[in-house]
Amino acid sequence: MAHASRRLYLAIFVALAILTALEVGLIYLPGIARGPMIAALVGVAIVKASLVGLFFMHLRDETRALKLTVAVPLMTPGLYAVILVAEAGWRLLP
Amino acid sequence: MTSWPRDEQFGTASSGKIGMWIFLVSDALSFAGLLLAYAILRGGAVLWRHPGEPPLGVNFTAGLTFLLICSSVTMVLGYASALDGRRREASVWLALTALGGVLFLCGQYQEYFGIWSPGLTREGLVLGGSAYASTFYVITSFHGAHVLSGVVFILVTLVRWLRGTATSAQVELLGLFWHFVDLIWILVFTFVYLLP
Repeated sequence: MAHASRRLYLAIFVALAILTALEVGLIYLPGIARGPMIAALVGVAIVKASLVGLFFMHLRDETRALKLTVAVPLMTPGLYAVILVAEAGWRLLP
Repeated sequence: MTSWPRDEQFGTASSGKIGMWIFLVSDALSFAGLLLAYAILRGGAVLWRHPGEPPLGVNFTAGLTFLLICSSVTMVLGYASALDGRRREASVWLALTALGGVLFLCGQYQEYFGIWSPGLTREGLVLGGSAYASTFYVITSFHGAHVLSGVVFILVTLVRWLRGTATSAQVELLGLFWHFVDLIWILVFTFVYLLP
């Protein structure tokens, strides 16, 4: 299995540090509505988690079967979260 | 490095690696359950943080997050060194990773109980006092237990590595667990500390 180089690991580290700073900076920015703020923060967190999984845990280099073994079960809570958000939105409708 | 016969579906992934991934997925589902419960409780609460309860320290915890990211880098560099057969270098990276974990746990202790300043427990955030307090302590301490397990796992592997009884494949399994701990913290930090 081909693994990423040390240079790539350090690039991912820099990306993770910048994204963390961006997240923290975002919450101090005035004038951002709650909805877009939540969407942005969750989006950045998913990107950061994906970077760790794909590059540090080498999921990028694994076979399709192993990737699916990991990804498919993890879609279940994600789907449940989407249903929860949709249900909450439905209740708030006039 | 341990060689493993190529499988049609899983390539050269060892049974140990497949087993570790399945364990991590099941563990991730435990965290997902806690985070979903947190979302349901928070979404349905009229008042989330009650008067007298302190806010969470975002800046301090951002530092802990950065520390855990640093420890993930030292872990992956340790694995790269182990794969290249640089035993001494790999040992140093693993030791630094364990140090990162210990510092994270010290940070969590400071946050809960206080070392140089009053912790959340003394500021009025009491387990069982509210859903805000209980979800915070349950989720972060469950993660903290993972960090503690990870530190023990690193130290055991480091001793075995120094004795020459651990392989780079075993360092890779250790790395999977440690990066998972980092990955989960990234999500916990956002959901518990950052979301408005």
